[in-house]
Amino acid sequence: MEAIVQYLLTGLSAGSVYGLIALGFYVMWSAAKAVNFTYGDVFMLGGVGTVVLMELGLPLPVAAATAIAGAAVVGAIVERVFVRPFNREANSIGWMLTTIAVGIMIESSTTATYGPLGRPLPTPLVEHPIRIGGSGIYPQELLLPVAAIAATFALEFFYKRTVLGRAMRAVSFNRVAAGLVGIDADRITLLAFAIAGGLGAFAGFLVAPVVQASASMGVIVGLKGFMVAIIAGIANARGVVIVGILYGVAEKLIEGFLSTAARDAIGFTLMILLLLLFPQGLFGRAEVRKV
Amino acid sequence: MATDRFSGSGRRLLLGLVSAAAIGTAALPAAAQRAQPCIGASWELTGPLAHTGMTIRIAVETALDEINAAGGVLGQPLRLIAYDDVGEPARAVDNARRIGERDNCIVMMGGFRTPNAIALRDPLAEMELPWMGVISAGTGVIEHPNNANKWMFRVSMKDRWVAPFLVEAAKARSRSGKIALVFEGTAWGQGAVPDVERAMAAANTPLAGKETFNIADQDMSAQMIRLRDAGVDTIIFYGVDREATNMLRSMDRLGYKPTIISAWGIGVQFARTAGPLAEGVLVAGTYTWMGDLPPRAAGVLQRIQAKFPQIASAADIPLPSGTANAYDATYIIAEAIKLAGRFDRDAFRQALFRVNYEGIVANYAPAFEPRQERHDAILPASYKLFAFHNGAMLPVEQTPFRQAAR
Repeated sequence: MEAIVQYLLTGLSAGSVYGLIALGFYVMWSAAKAVNFTYGDVFMLGGVGTVVLMELGLPLPVAAATAIAGAAVVGAIVERVFVRPFNREANSIGWMLTTIAVGIMIESSTTATYGPLGRPLPTPLVEHPIRIGGSGIYPQELLLPVAAIAATFALEFFYKRTVLGRAMRAVSFNRVAAGLVGIDADRITLLAFAIAGGLGAFAGFLVAPVVQASASMGVIVGLKGFMVAIIAGIANARGVVIVGILYGVAEKLIEGFLSTAARDAIGFTLMILLLLLFPQGLFGRAEVRKV
Repeated sequence: MATDRFSGSGRRLLLGLVSAAAIGTAALPAAAQRAQPCIGASWELTGPLAHTGMTIRIAVETALDEINAAGGVLGQPLRLIAYDDVGEPARAVDNARRIGERDNCIVMMGGFRTPNAIALRDPLAEMELPWMGVISAGTGVIEHPNNANKWMFRVSMKDRWVAPFLVEAAKARSRSGKIALVFEGTAWGQGAVPDVERAMAAANTPLAGKETFNIADQDMSAQMIRLRDAGVDTIIFYGVDREATNMLRSMDRLGYKPTIISAWGIGVQFARTAGPLAEGVLVAGTYTWMGDLPPRAAGVLQRIQAKFPQIASAADIPLPSGTANAYDATYIIAEAIKLAGRFDRDAFRQALFRVNYEGIVANYAPAFEPRQERHDAILPASYKLFAFHNGAMLPVEQTPFRQAAR
């Protein structure tokens, strides 16, 4: 029983990271029908940036806020320079190549300047775990599901209750029609990528105290976050967070009861099977286009 | 007419001799040619393993400064030509070709990764280029399957010898006798499994658990739960800094505190990332630059710091054993060149068996012997156990963890 509690706790924490990243993919996809494949690296900038700024003497909240703002700017730059020019046509895929290339550049340059080794991001919330019998979790890890759920509701509020959010939904629904009613679709898309950048960096900042801030910290989670978004049906905010958390828990159960070495092989196989059964994603809907 | 015929035959004979001489000269192995007074190196100077290249470079350049300030070797300064292989075996082979054929250095020095060293076996034998490893500890680097290693030498630990050392330390510290192995899912980690199993069998103690993890794994709760439930109180660990820290965090969540005895994959960065959790973790190695240093080593550290501003203190040397090994290896190379009396690769190779040198890691007497098993200079008697204490990696004797379990 203790083991199952532990798998649920750590699965909840790991899954929330996947969920937050998947949420970023959802924001980008909603606005541009394209995503930023540097997203794992934007996530990394949240952790690494905070560490670097703290080493320069900034207090934790200021360092984190600056790193997240910086990552939001990076997200906007990626959209303007590496996505928009390559996403003009209906079926453009050039943005895939450019964003993957930029991701490699960001990671390499971070490795060269920050160094290849992980560094600690000290917070009081990783000093002592909360113990439940023979299981436990750091308070810092409990922030992750809270942040994922809060971000989901905040985004829903933003999309439904604010002018900007409604404009974003309009662009998502029909970019041309949105333009005809005076919405600057390009600016809205830029903003969506900036929001996603900030969200990814926020997740990186939250998890870095537990897993260390390193140049490669976003590589695997970025990939898994994208996979979670696809499996959930990328156009559903609640769906991507739920699937993210479920996938995190499933990983821990696989590690606990099947194999630690084959965790990813089993997990990815499971995802592929789900995609075969639900081509639109678990929470997705088939798009109907009138012709 | 007869004279003409003789003259024609003579010309043909002369041409034949000249051709044969030309062909013979071209076919001579590189070793017989005069080599250059340089150490060629293929290290991980950029990329995710850049800290390992730096670990070696600071030692070799410092030692060369000392050697050259004292007159060099055979009246000439000994140069370093370092190439970057980014940790990739194919690039290491390319670099070896440059070093052996274009630069014509008398010896090549290796870097961190065992796969890179393994990839060099055939090219080095083909070029008859001596190679000196200073970190890559894989048994197969030196003990070739054909038992015919002629050109590869090492001033470092050897995995086959490390396993019994770790097992002995684990047995001495385990109260329950339940010892487990936790290893990373790489060639290094998986390669250690049979070595540890053999050493455990020799010690009449079966492994109480065997767990693996993937590189970049952030949580190892499942593995630690299984070991805790099996009653394991001592873990032999094969992994590096990041995963070691993540394993300790997983243990901390569970309130599980076994003794950890690690192979030398973890270095000083581990103390920074794990913080107080690193306290009492033991690690095998050949040297640490922290704690009370002998005067000679203290001087070397000072010169390293003076030459490399990024090394503000001993805590900035990522792999302390690698730095010490590289320092000793550079001196052994210089001594062997002096004994060879000329810049000739084969004479240099033969001279390595006659080098007697008191290094900072060990007293090499002699450094090497002709059988391939003894192409390793550092013997198990010189392996040391270090403990993390108050954020520093210290000789275990200078800590409270000499014998007691954590």
